[in-house]
Amino acid sequence: MVGQVVISGLLAGSIYAMVALGLGLIFGVMRVLNVAHGPLLMLGAYTTFWLFQWLGLNPYLSLLVTMPALFLVGVLLQGTLVRRVVDAPELSSLLLTFGVSIALVNLAQLAFTSDLRSVEYLTGSFVVGSFAISKPRLAACAFAVAITGASFVFLRSTRLGKAIRAVSQSREVAQVCGIDVQRIHLLAFGLGTALAAAGGTLVAVMVAIQPEMGQVYTFKSFLVIVLGGAGNYPGALLGGLFLGLVEQLSSLFLTAQVNEAVAYVLLVLVLLVRPTGLLRGRV
Amino acid sequence: MTMKSFLRRGRLCAPAMVVAIGLASVPLPAGAQTPIRIGASMSVTGTYAKPGTYQREGYEVCIDELNAKGGILGRKVELVIYDDQSQPATAVRLYEKLVTEDKVDAVMGPYSSAVSEAVANVTEKYKKVMVAPLAATTSIFKKGRKYIFMVITPAENYLEGLIDMAAKRGLKTVAIINEDTLFPKASAAGTVEAAKKRGMQVVLQEAYPKGNTDFSALLVKVKAANPDVLAAGTYFDDAVAITRQMKELNVNPKMFGLTVGGDLPEFYDLLKQNAEYVYGSTQWDESLPFPGQKEFLAAYTKKFKREPSYHAAAGYAGCLIYAEAVKRAGTLDSDRVREQLLKMEIRTAFGDYKVDADGFQVAHKMVMLQWQDGKRVVVWPDDLASGKPRYPTPEWSKR
Amino acid sequence: MKRRAPIALLVLAAALALYPLEATGYGLRVMLQLFMWIALAQSWNLISGLTGYVSFGHVVFYGTGAYASSLLIVKAGLPWPLACLGGGVAGALLALIIGWPCLRLRGPYFAIAMLGLNEVMRVVVSYYEGLTGGGNGLSLPTLDASLAIYYAMGLVAAGVTAVAHAILTSRFGLRLMTIREDEVAGEAMGIDTLRYKLYALVLSAIGPGIVGGLSARDQGYIEPISVFPLIMTITMIVMALFGGKGTIWGPVLGATVLFLFQEAVWARFVYLHQLLFGAIIVAVVLLMPRGILGVLQQKYNLPRTI
Repeated sequence: MVGQVVISGLLAGSIYAMVALGLGLIFGVMRVLNVAHGPLLMLGAYTTFWLFQWLGLNPYLSLLVTMPALFLVGVLLQGTLVRRVVDAPELSSLLLTFGVSIALVNLAQLAFTSDLRSVEYLTGSFVVGSFAISKPRLAACAFAVAITGASFVFLRSTRLGKAIRAVSQSREVAQVCGIDVQRIHLLAFGLGTALAAAGGTLVAVMVAIQPEMGQVYTFKSFLVIVLGGAGNYPGALLGGLFLGLVEQLSSLFLTAQVNEAVAYVLLVLVLLVRPTGLLRGRV
Repeated sequence: MTMKSFLRRGRLCAPAMVVAIGLASVPLPAGAQTPIRIGASMSVTGTYAKPGTYQREGYEVCIDELNAKGGILGRKVELVIYDDQSQPATAVRLYEKLVTEDKVDAVMGPYSSAVSEAVANVTEKYKKVMVAPLAATTSIFKKGRKYIFMVITPAENYLEGLIDMAAKRGLKTVAIINEDTLFPKASAAGTVEAAKKRGMQVVLQEAYPKGNTDFSALLVKVKAANPDVLAAGTYFDDAVAITRQMKELNVNPKMFGLTVGGDLPEFYDLLKQNAEYVYGSTQWDESLPFPGQKEFLAAYTKKFKREPSYHAAAGYAGCLIYAEAVKRAGTLDSDRVREQLLKMEIRTAFGDYKVDADGFQVAHKMVMLQWQDGKRVVVWPDDLASGKPRYPTPEWSKR
Repeated sequence: MKRRAPIALLVLAAALALYPLEATGYGLRVMLQLFMWIALAQSWNLISGLTGYVSFGHVVFYGTGAYASSLLIVKAGLPWPLACLGGGVAGALLALIIGWPCLRLRGPYFAIAMLGLNEVMRVVVSYYEGLTGGGNGLSLPTLDASLAIYYAMGLVAAGVTAVAHAILTSRFGLRLMTIREDEVAGEAMGIDTLRYKLYALVLSAIGPGIVGGLSARDQGYIEPISVFPLIMTITMIVMALFGGKGTIWGPVLGATVLFLFQEAVWARFVYLHQLLFGAIIVAVVLLMPRGILGVLQQKYNLPRTI
């Protein structure tokens, strides 16, 4: 039983990690907690659904559409709204993005109705010994690992990636070094949103799609980036897997009702004992 | 005092506000030959938006039908609807508004047990009869209230049929899972009772929070308990997610039944062949041979271009039941209408209506459906069944 | 001149006290809920407006108060006014317990911790169903006390505002504002910041606790999902912000204008109100982060507290 649950936890955790990495990028670079992260994921899921519905596009291939499309949405949001609250106290950015969040959900209700949708593409499982490994979850995990890996390579090895890391370490110094901070902000918000969109695409194959599906991912991502240490990108990865495991194990040993509470209690403990997160320091 | 110093004292703007509110609350004069106005708040947005919309449409079809037949007591009927956003506090305010400001002639119930429970205090206070077609929780009706009437079968009886069918086939063990909110919880409790009564053993009972999407750990526990029957107290999203993940984790009990969700057309749209063999319980099905069924279906599909759900049928029937009681009483007077509602026995497109002295439904019966080749087939009770249950349930991969 | 303000307040209070004579049931309930929002927005203002620590889960004190007082009514048989005060005590206790660790967290971390606290409390209430009824909710005995609750709500709203007035014009208030402007400097000046933040949080939890109890009594039925909604936290924040946070009358003004506006809009834009609310939030944050009073203060050079 425990083995099965650990598998489920790791599969779920890999998606949390990818989505949270997106939120963590935005937070690391700008210190903005994007409450609209989940609803943006929802937009990604709907994009996948409509492409599948109208064009019969393979949902995994639709990553090639959803990620760039939501990248643009993210850049647009940053350029028009979020840009104005980057330096304001955190209350401003929390409220602003919350406003965007409920507006997006309401727009989705108007445009797509509250009817549940699904992408029936891949179902069933591989049975290995006494373990069942869900096919759509395994596929989602594989893509999440690949995308997260690519993001790391980008952050570590490219000039832009290094610039992003520089800005998240110290905006002033980065500016002095000739980095266009405004442009990095746009890029970070776009990338963060694209990662949320990828999450949307992958979960679209697993769960029912509806306008309010995103909110839980916002909260989970908050948890993950705090657990992993804000602005610490490998930390987000570890935090995601950790959250997936904690949720599944507390459902198994206690009850599904408490897994959210267990995760939050852990969060507060981590914050108090180790305010920098599970992994100390930054990339 | 200059304007500037007036403003400096800032606080003075407040009395102006009171005047504004005073003006806003002047009631509208009621005309002499006005139509009968029936008010309700409905969950147009929020958590219950979907069933709430169906219910409102049921009311609308009923109002159209009444007007086509010349209205009630020779007067036309009109519907006044507000959005309560699925929130009890908002609904309470709106029913106060309907009764004291809009001065509607009658009210109908909102969607959901939780909202009905809150609103019932207002309607009791003003002695307004309220037929609450979508309140399924027993406790609402057992608090000594006089003016609220139930239309649908209580939550506790939802899976009676599943247990009955299982017991008849000699199945011994049952696992019960449910969302942790009023209605699914009550239906789970009722299922436990029913199972015990039939000598079945409850091997697992567990709740999960509203909005849960990952049921892996819970289903792993179910698999370990290895029950003959899995009964789930669900709303809809969770019904779909549980069925999907049962396939993913290869959890395959001999019978698997759901409260709400398994009965909706969308269930099959979302799950396709994986919905086969799943049992769903429902308050109503369009295939049932009730009087007025054809007319209701025709009117509904013509107006809204899609199939009605049971919420729509219940709303439609609740409104017809109220209208019938008014006709029999010959007046809109609450106490006289109440008398009629208490002693009336009537069969509508939704099935039977008869209440006990508390306004609690005793006649209406649930039916069990099973998905067979993409169609909902009524398999229980025997006298209403249109087919036989397909049993035993094959492997997931062979559906 | 200086005497006019108290006189105006008295007139206002008298008008509101006499209002039920004229009011319809609906009018009474609108005012009752307006008082509730004033008390909530003002309470949030006490901690977040003054210290700058964003309580992003302030509704947790409302929900806790609602459950505590309902339990006192149902299980202990207390009369409802006492039980509602008990709700206030429960809110204060929770604030004390949770504030001690959480108020050490800075900036967004405190916001996330408060958000989490609200989720945790909702789960806890659902989980201990033997006591709370869990997801079944809790039904109170039927009782029509809306008139008494109207006055009680009004008193709480006035009380919290009076507290805000007292704090803002005291040394205590100055210390809190020092924390908001520069906590490190405050510490260097010898202010025991944790203690003062804790006082502020506890004070800010009493109002919502009582109000939660009163609402529960008024509605007669509560369930975990209806007394711990995130949207209520956001609404009280937006109200305080719209009127002017960190001021005495800002939250009152913001709650009044926004609540009456929403009440007018709800009836008309059924499908759009969320979108409108989102737009209002964005507009307030971007265009008038200091609120109505902030704008007036700047324009007419008024004192920052008012």
